[in-house]
Amino acid sequence: MSELRNTNRVMFWRILRRLLAANRGRLFVMLLALGAGAAVTAALLNLQIDAKRRLTTEFRAFGPNVVVVPKGSLSSSSETLPQSIIDSVPANVPSGRVTALSALYLVASVSVPPSGKPGSAVVAGINPLFFATAYPAAHPNRSVTPSGNACVAGVRFAKQLGVRPDGELVVATGDRRESCRVASFLETGGSEDNRLEIDLRAAQRLADLPDRISMIELTVPGTPGEIQNYIVDLQLRIPDAEVRPVRQFTEGEAKVYKRISGLLTATVGIVLLLTALCVMTAMSNVAIERKMDVGLMKAIGGATRRVVRLFLAEAALLGLAGGVVGAALGILLSIGLGEAVFGVAARPRLIVYPVAVGLTVLVAILSAFPLRRLASIRPASVFRGEA
Amino acid sequence: MFLRLVADSFGRRPRHKLLTGAALALGMGVATAALSVALDVGDRLAKEFRSLGANLVITPKADSLPLEIGGVDYRPVNVGAYLPEADLPKLKTIFWHNNIMGFAPIVEVRGEALPRVLNDGGARPGNWIADVPIIGTWADHAVPLPEGGEFRTGVAKTNPWWRIDGRWFSEGAKECVVGVAFAKRNHIHIADSVSLAIGDLTVIPAPLTVTGILTSGGPEDASIVVPLSYAQSLARKPGEYRKLYVSALTKPEDAFARKDAKTMTPAEFDRWYCTPYISSIALQIQEELPGTDVRVIRRVAEGEGQILTHVEMLLWLVTLAAMLAAALAVGASSAASVMERQAEIGLMKALGAGSGTVGLLLAAEQLLLAFVGGGIGYALGIILARLLGERIFGAAPEPTLLVFLVVIGLAAVVTLLGSAIPLRRASRIEPAPILRGE
Repeated sequence: MSELRNTNRVMFWRILRRLLAANRGRLFVMLLALGAGAAVTAALLNLQIDAKRRLTTEFRAFGPNVVVVPKGSLSSSSETLPQSIIDSVPANVPSGRVTALSALYLVASVSVPPSGKPGSAVVAGINPLFFATAYPAAHPNRSVTPSGNACVAGVRFAKQLGVRPDGELVVATGDRRESCRVASFLETGGSEDNRLEIDLRAAQRLADLPDRISMIELTVPGTPGEIQNYIVDLQLRIPDAEVRPVRQFTEGEAKVYKRISGLLTATVGIVLLLTALCVMTAMSNVAIERKMDVGLMKAIGGATRRVVRLFLAEAALLGLAGGVVGAALGILLSIGLGEAVFGVAARPRLIVYPVAVGLTVLVAILSAFPLRRLASIRPASVFRGEA
Repeated sequence: MFLRLVADSFGRRPRHKLLTGAALALGMGVATAALSVALDVGDRLAKEFRSLGANLVITPKADSLPLEIGGVDYRPVNVGAYLPEADLPKLKTIFWHNNIMGFAPIVEVRGEALPRVLNDGGARPGNWIADVPIIGTWADHAVPLPEGGEFRTGVAKTNPWWRIDGRWFSEGAKECVVGVAFAKRNHIHIADSVSLAIGDLTVIPAPLTVTGILTSGGPEDASIVVPLSYAQSLARKPGEYRKLYVSALTKPEDAFARKDAKTMTPAEFDRWYCTPYISSIALQIQEELPGTDVRVIRRVAEGEGQILTHVEMLLWLVTLAAMLAAALAVGASSAASVMERQAEIGLMKALGAGSGTVGLLLAAEQLLLAFVGGGIGYALGIILARLLGERIFGAAPEPTLLVFLVVIGLAAVVTLLGSAIPLRRASRIEPAPILRGE
């Protein structure tokens, strides 16, 4: 009995091999359709997972989205925070690293030596703290930050005072004086255009406020939810200061993120669904050509169940082969695509591979479904050439 | 005879043709939907990004340096230059006037406030609060357009992240909106009132009714927002403003947009001028409003441009992948349909048909199928794109002729390519063995 079953199994595989090898063209067409489907599935799934994560880091382009200010000071600039508060700011979030910039603002009289008439202007002492290494600039458009003797002049400030690049500036409050050299100009369209940025320590000496700062600007990467959690967490760590989101950007980002991720999910979903349907129709087209084979098998005594099982096994095998090759190609493709879009190669997700292969096998088996109808074929009519 | 053969082939094998047609229609449906969405997404997202608010700021050219700390200008009202409010309708006459989504002029002054808090039915006057930032602007202002009609705009358009509990003040009425921090500190609620004055405190001016509480997350939370005309009369600058925010719909800047306009050839300049880049819109505004300094708020404009470019690219890649998959599946399907017809081809050749005639006949069949399938697929794809667009952006993309042509062209090319390889093999067949059934 077991020997009979054994022979059956050997025969089953032999027929399967013959079915596959019988028509090389057909085999190629089926593998092409399945492989293409698998490749697109894997590429899109991988890209979609990666793109959503990447999108949140893209929002860095908007610059700081969270500020820390002295409690209750929304307009009055006289209140300050201790500089040590920056040590309580967590540097890591799930999506990356936080960049911070602490600043002290004061109004001082600025003059261009030797002859320049002094004019009062806002002077910001800036101390960028780069937690991050991947993104060198805490601000967009900020290539140079003030340090030591070098300062950065806003474009309107520079125009008003007639500041020349590399020129010398004297900043004074009362009898305290500091001098600096203009290292670069800054144009943001915001209040930075109207002010002079100098080293934080120089500003602290000018204002006679050692180790004090007016505010900290933070650029927190992450989804809107992650940023919200970060704010709540930070507020608990520094109860003496006030942590506020920059609502213009946090709300705008949240809206845009929702739209883009919805768009991606929907597009990818529809493309995957239609690709599956498309592959299925292409496969079915091949499958209904199998009348002769089925007719012959039934004529020599094949039970319907066994015949169907044979064809389903063939489809699954083809799906597996097409899926294994196609999904691998697709993941490679998505790595290249990620590099093209975001400049950084998409990290391949291992989970994508089995999912894509599994989906391909499923589609292949589903597309062998029309074969069920072949079960009702009457062998005699096939051979008479009627059907 | 040729047409009869083609018609006969469709009539004889309807299921076959139906399946190949279905594969075609589905494939082309994917291509149409993805293409329509990708073509449309730039405009839609650009609109979405306007929730970040103004991307241009306009100030007087002759202005003195603002002493701005934490968003508050510490200059006295009579220092610096102002601009005439009467010029503002000109903003809607520039070349890209349809891309100006909103604008709001601002007058900022610092003054004294005297809140009158309603308490147990009676109004209780408090004390004067010194040094309160007062912002005069438009909430929902009707700007008459030169060509007739009006354009409603205001700070709600340029700063859409401002949240109002209650309602905005109405223009002309003695009403105001109070920042949430200011309201909290002075225990002011909606329906209370505030008197505002600068300098002379001997005469208490008529109070403004508080209609709403403003939450902006910025320095405005500590200020009082009043109608523009009221702030102008406080500052004694009737019909003038100091700062103008403009929210414009723009195209992300590319390498061409960053070229210096002064070094462009006339043809290049025309192209630049007629593209809604933020820099060309800024130039057009500057031409209409003389004596102004139009600056791009880089943080908004560049962040937006960068993200928009990346998302568009991503979507094009998805589209490309979808089209590729559709093309391969359709190609495979048509290859299969030709491959199965070796016997038929053998018979035709035995009856004296040349390889060319056979190829032509099959190509005609495939093309007919491509046009029908592609057409159905296009319709299918348009419906899908509409559903997608409406779900995500609340607006459906317009069907364009371009997409139709691309899809039909793609269908034709793919089916022909798909059938070309099996056809070449078929043309090499000897008719005799096929007819013998070997």
